[in-house]
Amino acid sequence: MKIRDIAIRAGRSLRQAKARTLLTSLAIGVGAFTIVLSLAVGAGGRTYVSNIISSNTNIHEIIVQPKQDKINGAAKPQKYTDDAVIDYGAGYTMKLLKQSDLDKISKISGVKSITPDYIVTAKYITGINNEKYRVGVTTILEGLKLEFEAGSKDGVENGGIIISDRYVSVLGYKNATDMIGKNIQIAVEKGSDSPLNPETKLFEFKVVGVTKKSAMAIMPSNGVQLAPSEMEKLFNYNQGGTSLANSYPDVVVITDDNVNSKDIKNIINDMGYDAQTAEDLMSFIFQFINVLQGILIGFGALAVLTSVFGIINTQYISVLERTQQIGLMKALGMRRRDIGRLFKLEAAWIGLLGGSIGAGLAVIGGMIANPHISKWLGIGNISLIIFEPLSVTIVIIGLVIVSVTSGILPARKAAKLDPIEALRTE
Amino acid sequence: MIEVKHITKTYGKKDSVFVALSDISFVIPDGASVAILGKSGSGKSTLMHTMSGLDHPETGEVIIDGQNILALSQKEIDKFRSHKMSFIFQSFFVQAKETCYDNVSLPLEIAGVAPSRRRSKIEAALTAVELIDKKKSKARTLSGGQKQRLAVARAIVNSPQILFADEPTGNLDSVTGAVVEDLLFNYNKQNKITLIVVTHDPDLANRCDIQIHIKDGKIESIEGLK
Repeated sequence: MKIRDIAIRAGRSLRQAKARTLLTSLAIGVGAFTIVLSLAVGAGGRTYVSNIISSNTNIHEIIVQPKQDKINGAAKPQKYTDDAVIDYGAGYTMKLLKQSDLDKISKISGVKSITPDYIVTAKYITGINNEKYRVGVTTILEGLKLEFEAGSKDGVENGGIIISDRYVSVLGYKNATDMIGKNIQIAVEKGSDSPLNPETKLFEFKVVGVTKKSAMAIMPSNGVQLAPSEMEKLFNYNQGGTSLANSYPDVVVITDDNVNSKDIKNIINDMGYDAQTAEDLMSFIFQFINVLQGILIGFGALAVLTSVFGIINTQYISVLERTQQIGLMKALGMRRRDIGRLFKLEAAWIGLLGGSIGAGLAVIGGMIANPHISKWLGIGNISLIIFEPLSVTIVIIGLVIVSVTSGILPARKAAKLDPIEALRTE
Repeated sequence: MIEVKHITKTYGKKDSVFVALSDISFVIPDGASVAILGKSGSGKSTLMHTMSGLDHPETGEVIIDGQNILALSQKEIDKFRSHKMSFIFQSFFVQAKETCYDNVSLPLEIAGVAPSRRRSKIEAALTAVELIDKKKSKARTLSGGQKQRLAVARAIVNSPQILFADEPTGNLDSVTGAVVEDLLFNYNKQNKITLIVVTHDPDLANRCDIQIHIKDGKIESIEGLK
């Protein structure tokens, strides 16, 4: 018997039991739905993350930290070295980079610039209404893309400041545009003074840009950002004369455009520092997404496993119901192999139907839900659910294979059926 | 020519052995119509199953055209049945949910006849049993007589050499039964095929050229054999 004729007969006998076929395939459909959706969410998540990485990082950027001691918090007292360290007590210390380290790194060929991460603890920020607010002060990074509510980055090098839109109304401004060009002050304590009554100095800056929360920003700029030269002034006032003067927890190295930042990273690592490209730092998010996706696929796989028993059960019943038909076909000379194929193909149709229904619903549901999810998460027009035709196809094919496998036992029962027993009239 | 030689078939084991067929031998010439007569449990159905290769006796040979079909492999015997034999059963065994056309198509599909060559054969068979106007109807809409005529169409569609009929009129009233009988005997005479009817109906048996009487698994008598 030709495989085409068997396939047509298999399809026909499924149509003759519509409700049963549909219900059996719905079970596998649930699995298909879950798996297709989790693959789509995973794909969407990874695309989203790589967007975040590319908009938050510069491929020429390397973050360099000192290599921390492996044995930290050791019970034994440690020998003194002239490294700059922050001592947290109990033997826990954090090494810092010193100016000499910076000089060494900047001598590497291919290094364009080196910007230390100045740690400045601002006392408060104040504006037109003289209200004082706490604020985080950070250095503006070249690679970081900012989204502006008003103004821009221009002029930040000349005493300018970029401020988060969260400070607009609390500092007494009507709106973001109103704030542009206005002067605000940041109060910083002199670190070398007696900690009981330190001198406080107000630094004045002109607002050049007001940022808004970015969908792509992994660390939203919710404080203020200053140019490195301005940060240096604050830092020197804040930390100058203290043990932390001229030492930094990390530095940002920008490489020349024509070199591969990974090569420079390796050179810096070989010098005994801990260097990572920005991409290295972000890659953990991928791992998180993969784990999440794996869990979801696991649920889908459970649903598929359940449906396997559904298919086996349905096909067994079908074999019992069609005993006479099988007997007749055998009497007419249909080969055992072909009878087996008939039932396996029926299982295949069930898998194809269930897989297509599940995948179809997942695609439709995903497309409907996508804009709502993006809106709810406030990430704009970014799709968090991305259906890849190839992976959807592979899922459906995979489910067909699973169904055929589940159909093997009932098919074998049908093939082994004794035609004489099957054709007994009474 | 069909030669049946020393067929013995038993069921059960040691203590409760039941001998269904005991040393059965006879010869059927080509194109004959044969009735295998006997009461229920006499072994006549088992004999038919053995002659068609569906059942395997402990000993004996069934030689059709010089070939012992009991010595063939499963694959070969299946092929032999699909090309040279066909069956009609007391309970019709037509597929109620399929159309008449698809019912008749089954033996052709099993024999691997190309789709392009099926249509004319199916229509000829349905015309022969006067069911061509029911071609697209589901088999469950047919009456008992029509169902058995459909079974006849299915049995003759692939031009078999041997046609087995197991109580073909057992479930029919005398009028419709006669129609089916006429169909079978006409087909037997016109196409020179061997018709083997298993029955306990003496009237039907008497229309056959040869009557083989079976009792308790043994041949009681053979009539009509020249």
